Amino acid sequence: MAQTKVICEINGSVWKIQIKEGDAVSEDDTLAILESMKMEIPVIAPSSGTIEKILVAEGESVAEGQDLMVINE
Amino acid sequence: MPHDEMIAELKQRRERALAMGGPEKLAKRKAEGHLNARERLDALLDKDSWIESGLFATSHRPEVRDKTPGDGKIGGFGKVDGRPVAVMSNDFTTMGASSSVVNGKKIRHIREVATRSGMPLIMLGESTGARMPDRMGAEGRAILGQDPIEYLRSRESPWASALLGSCYGSSTWYGCLSDFVVMRKGATMAVASGRVTSAAIRQEIDSEELGGWKMHAEHSGLVDAVVDTDEEALLAIKTWLSYLPSHQNEAPPAYDVPEGSQGRGQQILEILPDTPNKVYDVRKIIDLVVDKDSRFELKPRYGKSICTSLARLDGKSIGVIANNPMFKGGAIDVDAMKKATAFIIQCDSFNIPLLFMVDTPGFLIGLEGERRAAPGKIMNWMNALSLVTVPKISLIMRKSYGQAYLNMGGGRNSDEVLAWPTADLGFMAANVGASVLTGVDKDKDPEKYAKMAKDLSRDTAVWGLAQLYEAHTVIDPRDTRETLIRLFEIHRSRHGSGVGKHRLAVWPTTY
Repeated sequence: MAQTKVICEINGSVWKIQIKEGDAVSEDDTLAILESMKMEIPVIAPSSGTIEKILVAEGESVAEGQDLMVINE
Repeated sequence: MPHDEMIAELKQRRERALAMGGPEKLAKRKAEGHLNARERLDALLDKDSWIESGLFATSHRPEVRDKTPGDGKIGGFGKVDGRPVAVMSNDFTTMGASSSVVNGKKIRHIREVATRSGMPLIMLGESTGARMPDRMGAEGRAILGQDPIEYLRSRESPWASALLGSCYGSSTWYGCLSDFVVMRKGATMAVASGRVTSAAIRQEIDSEELGGWKMHAEHSGLVDAVVDTDEEALLAIKTWLSYLPSHQNEAPPAYDVPEGSQGRGQQILEILPDTPNKVYDVRKIIDLVVDKDSRFELKPRYGKSICTSLARLDGKSIGVIANNPMFKGGAIDVDAMKKATAFIIQCDSFNIPLLFMVDTPGFLIGLEGERRAAPGKIMNWMNALSLVTVPKISLIMRKSYGQAYLNMGGGRNSDEVLAWPTADLGFMAANVGASVLTGVDKDKDPEKYAKMAKDLSRDTAVWGLAQLYEAHTVIDPRDTRETLIRLFEIHRSRHGSGVGKHRLAVWPTTY
């Protein structure tokens, strides 16, 4: 089974995580919302699958390129 | 020779050529679910429109003459939706469609006719690269690659490439010179195969990782569209061609306006958030402005904070460059810069007017961008924009900050600047400005900081821009479609025939 990392695309902080480990998700689903540049920016599923792991917590600062979650395709 | 013998020989030679690499290899492909080179022509072209050039060509080497029907690359002319096209279809079953002396001559002829006669050139790619031993030694140097303008791209007519298998050598090079590239999942494109690369750098490299669809659609940006099957790839080429003229000296074809295209303005207000901190997917707004279901997005997985789409407005082709706040809040990163510049070049070269839809907090600043030459990319974009001669209209929907204001068509970089009442013209986000410009620390002096931020937000509303006649008008978002139709009509009229000057025609395809 292929694993896909959900990679942070912009520096900011994690505002809301909208899924939990084990959830089934579809490509383009919103997984979390970051706050950056005074905007609420969605984290979008790059592929369909099951959320294997969530690597960040709400309120945490995140950087561009950081792994946020792992999806089992 | 009696006539009947002569005709029998022609028939026999013809059948031999049409059999390609033989029934076994063809059956294997079929079992894998892929079309062969001739089936691809059938799927691409209007029925009975094909006329072949070079059916009886073979390798010039006597020892493989009988094994090289068509010399592995099938060339000729046909029609797509009634319009003439020139096509090269690689026959992978014949020596891996490797590049040879004779099939190089075929490519050259088909390319030259496409350019001279003004018709799109379509390359159906799947090839292994240079043929051995043809390419070996001094003789190989001296007889292959004898065309100094083989890789000159001057956009007299549109070029489209499909990557439909292992693509190395000519399929890769022509893919990278093409205006539109579609890739079938499972195909690969790279300078050399995973096997060759692994041997050369002594590191195990997987071909999919090296040049698979994800790599090209998301990282290299060399591929415009990704599909699942050969048939879908050929359909994507036809769709792309429907927005393009046959050559640079005519306007793109016009179509009937689909029913239901009008009167959808109210829905724009439902998508556009009423607070500036909320984002939205700009593609949903574009879809409501252009003719119904007419939007064809290029590079949707690459540089996503800018969305580049061909579309039709009142039946006529336009190119839309829109910031997408859904990704990176609409901040323009290096990939998005490269994508925008390449799209401007494509549209200007083929007489397709440009629409900028603006909602960006500016260029994404940071270490990564600077390392990847962001300032150079921003200036490439401006340089391209200054050379554009097709009509350009810029619509400021929300944020238009900093230098990006100019790159997105502000400051006389368009023929017309429109704004919605929601437009916000800052130099940078007011809170960043408050610290940078005044040196006030938010934590030490929150009151002063708040006042500074408020001061900096002053005069960023659209009305100042309209009073100074920098925005030519401010419109109700619901009237966007009708306003754009009228304004494009007005600005198109400067070229009676809808043909521009193509000053970007020799600019590269990749940045």
